Amino acid sequence: MNPIDELRAARPAHLGDAPVDTRTRTRELSNAMSKPRSARLPRRGAARPLWSFGLVGAAAVTAVAVVAVAVSGSGGTPPRAPEPAPASTSTVRLSARDILLAAAEKADRQPAGTGAYWHTVSVRRTLFPAVGAGYLVMDRQRSEGWTPRATGGDQWGSAKPLGARPATAADEQAWKRAGSPAEIQVSVPGKSRPMTLSTTPGRTQTGHSPLTDGDKVFWLGRNVTMKDLLGLPSDSAELKAWLLRSYDGHDTESADEPMPADMWLFDVSVGLITDMPVTPQVRGAAFRMLAGLDTVDVIEGVTDAEGRQGSAVAIEEHTKGSGVVERRLIFDQATGRALGNESVVVKPGGRQTALPAGTVWSSQAVLEAGWTDHKPSS
Amino acid sequence: MTDDSHRFTSMYDECRQRVWAYVVSRAGRQVADEVVSETFAIAWRRLDDVPEPALPWLLGVARNVLRDNIRAETRREALNAELRAWTEGDVADQVTERLGVLRALAELPEDDREILILIAWQGLSPKDAALVVGCSAAAFRVRLHRARKRLKQAMEPTGRSRLRVKNLSEEWS
Repeated sequence: MNPIDELRAARPAHLGDAPVDTRTRTRELSNAMSKPRSARLPRRGAARPLWSFGLVGAAAVTAVAVVAVAVSGSGGTPPRAPEPAPASTSTVRLSARDILLAAAEKADRQPAGTGAYWHTVSVRRTLFPAVGAGYLVMDRQRSEGWTPRATGGDQWGSAKPLGARPATAADEQAWKRAGSPAEIQVSVPGKSRPMTLSTTPGRTQTGHSPLTDGDKVFWLGRNVTMKDLLGLPSDSAELKAWLLRSYDGHDTESADEPMPADMWLFDVSVGLITDMPVTPQVRGAAFRMLAGLDTVDVIEGVTDAEGRQGSAVAIEEHTKGSGVVERRLIFDQATGRALGNESVVVKPGGRQTALPAGTVWSSQAVLEAGWTDHKPSS
Repeated sequence: MTDDSHRFTSMYDECRQRVWAYVVSRAGRQVADEVVSETFAIAWRRLDDVPEPALPWLLGVARNVLRDNIRAETRREALNAELRAWTEGDVADQVTERLGVLRALAELPEDDREILILIAWQGLSPKDAALVVGCSAAAFRVRLHRARKRLKQAMEPTGRSRLRVKNLSEEWS
């Protein structure tokens, strides 16, 4: 008998395929599914998957945290000519702190707003390489969310694929040479099979689901309730302490990846500032907290994916064995409100060697974020 | 139930015990539930990244969770305890052969053991097993070949002497 067959025959029976006991099954399933599905809970900066409502999950796919930087090689929005290279001449190191403090002042004075639902509209763009065709494709999806202020109701979401298109003029030429296919096969890092993107906008899909654990609405280092969010401290030191209670030295997504506290705080506050229902004063406190981080920079004169002008607070993310990515939160200096966030290739490396420095490979532009009394009708 | 929940639950039901078995065979039972639980929590968060079939992907995640969260020393001690549980105690005559194989397995380096277990106990193809351990299929075949050779050597009667066996343990009958 060959040793492998002998070994197979010797497998201890308890390692066989007996069904799992019900209690363990219930415990493990609820443990897993109580965590925010990346789809429903906006949570993080753009270097790792930011999903829209998951109704059209595939369109928003990037990859897992562990390969986040590798993903950069294949995702993102096209380089925009007028935009300065990241962390270069337009970085204003000396006044970064002042700019953020000024933004905090503006944020403080925004009206609080009220309503039964926190409503957000955003457009996500992600770059993918076309399979075997040598050009890049930008996929675009619009997502809308309604998160109830009160517990007991459902959260609502809708997603609309806006269609994929060649990333740059050169990519468009290559796409045309390939026969202008309406459906483009793209490769997704970490997946062996290609994904198909359509150049035609899709239909809006709307859905609703109960809140995670009955009351969790967003992810802020951990799952939080609307009450948690509305009760966050408006003092920056207290806010920082509150957030850091969920920090234990590693990536927000994966315990595999160690992450410095600054990076982690940046990651979590980007979500908070971008589109979470917090009071204007808490948003101001988040800006003050960022102003206190030594590792962040401010870049002025940034154009976001929707063509809007703003400033960015940015941090460089170094991942072992790969290149460097800059994570940016773009905000309007006049209001202290977020325009969105994006990830930019700073130092191509690993699988991102194909993308030149300065390429925005993934972005989320916030079109609306505020309170409303209206939700979609079922 | 949403499509995602449905898909996740099916995947869990299909793969949970096999992920558990893999973790037990790598690091023993003490840590297994914890590692399995974390593995499926990650799978839920990254559901859109999970390929079909899911098992090799899940085993790869479990492998990382093990590597990063359970210290190598703890892992080794826990596994040694597990192997003792498999190979000690009172065992019936008819399983002498089986016992010898398990002891031989226990004597192998961790890398060999992992490879053999993926193939023999998890029933993975070399290609899928290569995905789990993160090497090329070609490299995996070479490693498998060597591991198999070392297992065969360890199973030779000249290897570690076999214990007297008496009774069949429920554990691995």
